[in-house]
Amino acid sequence: MKTLKLHIYIIAGLFLLGACKPEIHTPKPSAGSVDFSRYIALGNSLTAGYADGGLYLAGQQVSYPSIIGKQMQSVGGGTFSQPLFNTAQANGSGYLSLTGFNADGTPITTPVTTNLAIRGVLPVPGFGNVTLYTKYTGDINNYGVPGIKLMHITYAPYGNLNGYFERLLPGNAPTNSTTYLDFVMSKPFTFFSNWLGNNDALGYATSGGAGDVLTDKSTFAALYNVLINTLTAKGQKGVVATVPDVTSIPYFNTITVAAILAGVQKANPGVKALYINALVSGSTYAPRAATTNDLVILTFPTSKIGQPVATPVGNLPYGLTPYTPIDNQYVLDEKEVALTEDYVTSYNTTIKSVAASKGLAVFDAYTFLQNIKQNGLVVNGVSVNSNYISGGLFSLDGVHLTPRGYAIVANEFIKAINDKYNSSIPQVNISDYNGVKFP
Amino acid sequence: MRKILLLVLTIAPLLAYSQGFQVNLEGQKQIGMGHTGTGIVQDGASVFFNPGAVAMLSENYIQGGISPLLFKSVFNPAGTSIQNHTSNKVATPFQAYAVWGPKSSFWKLGIGVYTPFGGLTDWGNTWQGKYVLESLNLKAIYIQPTLSVKLADWMSIGGGFVYNHGSVDLTRAIPLANSNGDVGQARLKGSGKGYGWNAGVYFKTEAGITIGITHRSQVNTTIPAGDAIFTVPASLQSSFPQPNTFRSTIPLPATNSIGFGFYPGSKWILALDVNLVNWDSYKTLSFDYKTNTAVLQDTHSARNYQQAYSLRGGAQYKANDKLALRFGGGYASTAVLDGYVTPEAPDANRVYGTLGLGYTVAKHLDIDISFEYEHLMQRTQTNFESQLSGTFKTDVYIPGISLAYHW
Repeated sequence: MKTLKLHIYIIAGLFLLGACKPEIHTPKPSAGSVDFSRYIALGNSLTAGYADGGLYLAGQQVSYPSIIGKQMQSVGGGTFSQPLFNTAQANGSGYLSLTGFNADGTPITTPVTTNLAIRGVLPVPGFGNVTLYTKYTGDINNYGVPGIKLMHITYAPYGNLNGYFERLLPGNAPTNSTTYLDFVMSKPFTFFSNWLGNNDALGYATSGGAGDVLTDKSTFAALYNVLINTLTAKGQKGVVATVPDVTSIPYFNTITVAAILAGVQKANPGVKALYINALVSGSTYAPRAATTNDLVILTFPTSKIGQPVATPVGNLPYGLTPYTPIDNQYVLDEKEVALTEDYVTSYNTTIKSVAASKGLAVFDAYTFLQNIKQNGLVVNGVSVNSNYISGGLFSLDGVHLTPRGYAIVANEFIKAINDKYNSSIPQVNISDYNGVKFP
Repeated sequence: MRKILLLVLTIAPLLAYSQGFQVNLEGQKQIGMGHTGTGIVQDGASVFFNPGAVAMLSENYIQGGISPLLFKSVFNPAGTSIQNHTSNKVATPFQAYAVWGPKSSFWKLGIGVYTPFGGLTDWGNTWQGKYVLESLNLKAIYIQPTLSVKLADWMSIGGGFVYNHGSVDLTRAIPLANSNGDVGQARLKGSGKGYGWNAGVYFKTEAGITIGITHRSQVNTTIPAGDAIFTVPASLQSSFPQPNTFRSTIPLPATNSIGFGFYPGSKWILALDVNLVNWDSYKTLSFDYKTNTAVLQDTHSARNYQQAYSLRGGAQYKANDKLALRFGGGYASTAVLDGYVTPEAPDANRVYGTLGLGYTVAKHLDIDISFEYEHLMQRTQTNFESQLSGTFKTDVYIPGISLAYHW
């Protein structure tokens, strides 16, 4: 039996061996040719972490710059601070939450109105009401300001017109006179990301071409040069992103002309077309029948369709006759789409050529999001696409991203940085980030 | 009108196995000798290794053993320094055989109960691939009554009927989060059965070399009505109707083997086996749900496995009347083509080494122990279907023990 004892020892030893875990050797993360010690992010709502129609703490915490900043810490990056709302006011500006579905499968969204960070409303003569938020006074690495256009970055009064920017500034509206660019440049940095420019086209598009204008192409180019020259003045490196194709977002692709028409025809088979007030040329608009190339916005109240509208020839149903076309603000018509795309293409040509001249990394968001719209994307067994809610990429406002979407974008930025600067910032685990939350 | 087409959410197919899930733990003496046993006669495990050789056994046997198996896999997602490990769970392949025939008769009856396919993998619910797989517990238990007949002193044949009881229990996360941010989960759990057969022939040549040739048939195992349990946010529950069942059929592949035994001295047995496994029968993994919805569709996932082979060698040295020392090793090629590697079976070409020890503790009673270390080559893959991209590496540690009573 002595040998048997020996066997037991052998078996025990073998079990110990069994506790060894296999490891895969990965190269040590490296900063490559870049100093990531202070990374700052410039941009608009996408950069701020805006989602579901609002800016709130949970969204800020998964902003793509915060994800990038965290990943940079393994290659010498410093702390990445964001102008977070405090937990008592975690719901910030308020946002939409999904609270259910109607019997026909359409979503019910409800605004979140508690624990907001709104400190007041300031009427600005000739401009309108500006919502003011609780001030943030700490360190800032994420300079994302919802609503900002490239056009605004050197405009001194802007700190009085945008509550999200006003919130970051020491002074109170209407006394601010610090430009966005000066504000960003007030502290030194070693690396930047810049995703400005979206709103220069998006503002026009989301208002159906009615409530805003496209930023002039040469103004855009001039300002982009000023911006990048300023940011790289001390030899800083960075990554810039192109402006996405506005038609790739669910805001323009969820409520379609065909779907509305089909709904109307269920009750009135005789109806042949929807009518819209469409761009002819310049600023001339005229009614015509809508086609599938006309994009209806996500927030269009479809209940208006067919309601009687008083006209010189009597009451006629809204949207169903040339005399009662759907209002311009609800539709980005075919010519407006073409116009927007022309401007976006021009902006992107500028962005890419300025970036190339400075040796900056480029995340081509235009190509990336258009590709997802056309082909979808599968990541870690999760299928994402550009569909509203079900696609998992876009949040409830149909414009901004979900945490999953922001994580995917963060990885794309990281890939672009690594490719350009020979660094090896590790990517983030996208499976940790969710799409839209369901009740 | 604001019609939402709910998720194109593939509850994509998951259940799979491979060389990795062909367990190959069917007798402790044979494991010790590098899993050889087709061309030699050792004990009741010949019911599995070569039913044709059973009639050549000089004694009757009742034996049983177990091989607790630690499957340790790591995954490094592409572009990261993350290491995802499988959790420490011990699978329990076992083997039991009884062989009986009248003394010096030309025939013997046998029965074997063993676990030729299976897998226990648990990646947890936080890893990179959780939407592909969280955990899988797959078992196949074969029961094989066998008859073997000695046609001449130098030749015997035999065959058996195989009944398989198969079971599967797998979970994966569903990418639908509730208001707390908790994601959904799918669990597919069920059992079924399949049938097959097993036949072999055994020769003793004039040169003193023994030869065995066997065929173990494919066993199509059908799970006719497993439970499909989906945990999803309440507002989506109607798209994942409960209760629900699934049907799935798995072709556990046929294996062709040839084995040789060499006897360089009275104390030594050398054995060599070559196996060809017809994994190419495994083209698609399908799940057919009893109740489908727009979201919950049947799935058909390409596997496109290829034939795989293994080369095995082993030796036994009889140190004295009571003690046998064994060692062996081998190489097995992967059944899984590039682009089809999944976390269920992160398969790759593999090498293994074995050690064994047999001791006669009392008259008629043998105790055998074995230890196997298997190393799967590191493999960097992007799966076509899930786009899960990264590097897998796996080590398997398998101690084992059995008792055999013979008379």
